[in-house]
Amino acid sequence: MKAIEVNALTFTYKDGTTKALDGIKFAQEQGEMVVLMGHTGAGKSTFSRCLNRLIPHFHKGNYSGEIRILGNSIRDKRVHDLVGEIGLVFQDFESQLFSTNVELEVAFGPENLCLPRGEIRERINEALQLVRLKGFERREPASLSGGEKQRLAIASILAIKPKIVVMDEPTTDLDPQGKLEIFSVARLLKSEGYTVLFIEHEAEAVLEADKIVIMDGGRVVTEGKPHEILRDVELLENHGIRPPQIAKLFQETNEPSLPLTVEETLKVFQKREWKISDEKYTALLKKDDELNTDYGKKIIEVKDLEYIYPGNIKAIDNINMEIREGEFLAIIGQNGSGKTTLVKHFNGLLKPSKGEVRVAGEDTKGKRVAELGKIVGYVFQNPDHQIFADTVEEEVAFGPNNLGIPREKISLFVEEALKEVRLEGYEKCDPFSLIKGERQRVAIASILAARPHVLILDEPTTGLDYREQKSIMELLESLNRKGHTIIIITHSLWVVAEYANRVLVLHKGKIILDDQTRKVFSQEEKLANSFLRLPEIIRLSNRMGRTLLSVDEFKYCLKR
Amino acid sequence: MFIYLDKESLLHRLHPVTKIVGLLLLFIWAMVFNHPLYLSIIFVIVLFLSILAKSLSNLKKFWILLIILAFFSTLLWSLFLRGPTRIFKLGFIQISKESLLYGLAMGIRIDTMILSGIIFLSSTRTEDFTLGLSSLGLPFPVSFALSLSFRLVPTFQATTSTIIQAQKSRGLDLESGHLLKRIKKHIPLFIPILIHAIRNTDLLAMALESKGFGFKKRRTYYLHFRYKWQDWLSIAILAGLIGLSFYLRLNGYGVIFRRI
Repeated sequence: MKAIEVNALTFTYKDGTTKALDGIKFAQEQGEMVVLMGHTGAGKSTFSRCLNRLIPHFHKGNYSGEIRILGNSIRDKRVHDLVGEIGLVFQDFESQLFSTNVELEVAFGPENLCLPRGEIRERINEALQLVRLKGFERREPASLSGGEKQRLAIASILAIKPKIVVMDEPTTDLDPQGKLEIFSVARLLKSEGYTVLFIEHEAEAVLEADKIVIMDGGRVVTEGKPHEILRDVELLENHGIRPPQIAKLFQETNEPSLPLTVEETLKVFQKREWKISDEKYTALLKKDDELNTDYGKKIIEVKDLEYIYPGNIKAIDNINMEIREGEFLAIIGQNGSGKTTLVKHFNGLLKPSKGEVRVAGEDTKGKRVAELGKIVGYVFQNPDHQIFADTVEEEVAFGPNNLGIPREKISLFVEEALKEVRLEGYEKCDPFSLIKGERQRVAIASILAARPHVLILDEPTTGLDYREQKSIMELLESLNRKGHTIIIITHSLWVVAEYANRVLVLHKGKIILDDQTRKVFSQEEKLANSFLRLPEIIRLSNRMGRTLLSVDEFKYCLKR
Repeated sequence: MFIYLDKESLLHRLHPVTKIVGLLLLFIWAMVFNHPLYLSIIFVIVLFLSILAKSLSNLKKFWILLIILAFFSTLLWSLFLRGPTRIFKLGFIQISKESLLYGLAMGIRIDTMILSGIIFLSSTRTEDFTLGLSSLGLPFPVSFALSLSFRLVPTFQATTSTIIQAQKSRGLDLESGHLLKRIKKHIPLFIPILIHAIRNTDLLAMALESKGFGFKKRRTYYLHFRYKWQDWLSIAILAGLIGLSFYLRLNGYGVIFRRI
């Protein structure tokens, strides 16, 4: 008997024009872990919501096809009839948690099932044990880290004892440490005999899966063993999935073993006597240094900065740094390390508790955000926290209007900003009707239109798929080339490695590393102490005594 | 404004129904008198309750609000009410002894009610509140929604402050301009907040359904409360005090203005 069996499943949302799902055929055996991949809009979430009948009961639309869960058709079932068979964990853990403490959060499901108190207590214990949150019973969910919150969300589903657990991008909003926690919970669930359907972007994390299924355009495109699928670089890229870096490195070689891990690769290199060319590596280092002397004058200076939040929480602890015109700086560190607090000083949203911050030579003390906005633009993480207008044009013109830019110039600035983010022709569109990647572009354009010299972006790639991530980063790269100073906060280290020229690592409000990207990423151990795990290609090169930041650099330097 | 304090106290152990009824009784009690002296006695008793509930640390967050409310109440009532014993006059402005005392009384009344609310929220989890409302006969979905609305305030506050910062970074200046202009300036805040709230509610509703919300008409509660003698005694004492107060009031005690 199959755990999940889907035939000819087709669904169109009530207000949708195209089919979100288009004849899905899918099967999963009991006890299997299947990873579902695909770009944004491929239909993964829609599919997962069909499995427990949220579609068509919660989201209405045109539904056809058949789903069998553990052998039984779910045609006549409602969402709560299926809770014992299938449990769904959502991406957004913040809005899934609503209880006063951890224990009561987990109790909610069993309470609804009318279980006796003793049984509920047992189930809480078991579920918390599984996600390793024993001892957290009385903690308030808001006080947990992102990874802990998502594990709590998983526990609250496990307490209902579903046989199948479906996780819809549970790691998207997490920092690297949190992601690792969720991956290990997923593995544990599989070893405990659960059937796990895991929707995930990061290919490397799921080598243990029994099967990878790729969706595109509401269809299942292909499926296979992880080692087969993940080696097919072309297939992955065609469907908007980031291929493993090592697979990409071997793409054009005739190496038959096709390694996927750092260890495997080192063995292949040894066997074939492949090395990194010293000459070419020196050329890379020279280029780094040239770039360093190219930067302009100081645009942001931070001296002895301290920031203390109400309640005497020191978020920034004695930071000294400066940023010069034309730099592309990435700020990394765990959640709570003070990244956002630091950059909020650059446009005056926060004022120093101690020390000073100078922007273009002037102290930010006594300056309004609106004044500094002409020099420093700040794009917030979630575009939906700022989009409000009826049309894209109006949205983008909002900033320049506020900053008192003359009317006749505004329309020109708006036009150019939209051109910059490649949204020409979208002027009259309703920004809310756009997809996330496009909304992110609108947000960037709305900041660009005020023509600030410095651009700060808080996690510009979070929640975007590989294709969208690349195109946002290429946009920033081209802005940087045109002279803008770019500052990004991010958890995505491959983004940092491929695009940033300088990296600042924060830990508990202090700078622990601040240097050229290559130099920072050569210090693998120090980064690991802050739970920052480097991309494989960098780890591989570090093992060989050099630091190479991208697959392209590696290919360039590899002596075969 | 999530102010529950995870402590052990007499009030934490009381049955939620007792606390809900008790809170209503405290509200009624504060309405009986309009004399500052009598109201002060009630205020001191409520203050004593907050010590019993170990919720003084929450009081620290709110005492400025309490003082401001008392001050403005005193000021406004003294200016707008007319009483027989004038003590101050300057042009239009005149204050009488009665209006001053009455204003003070109203200030203490508001503070007493807020303080009672703080004690309640400090010693009652949202889940206790849900349980209490259900025990009083409200259907579970209604009690759940009511208590949840308290729970969601802090999340909502956090998002609101992010949205304000995002729009400020785009040059939105909320401090300048006349009233109408200022109201208009809030549109870039209201819309993202509203959309966030709708989206959040939607997600929450899905999460609830996926956890079997509404699975059966009945449900069990992991939390367990039994009515103990402390519950009966607390209500009896409160009811007794209110009875006594009504008796005093009907006999003309604790009154500044008879008609109000």
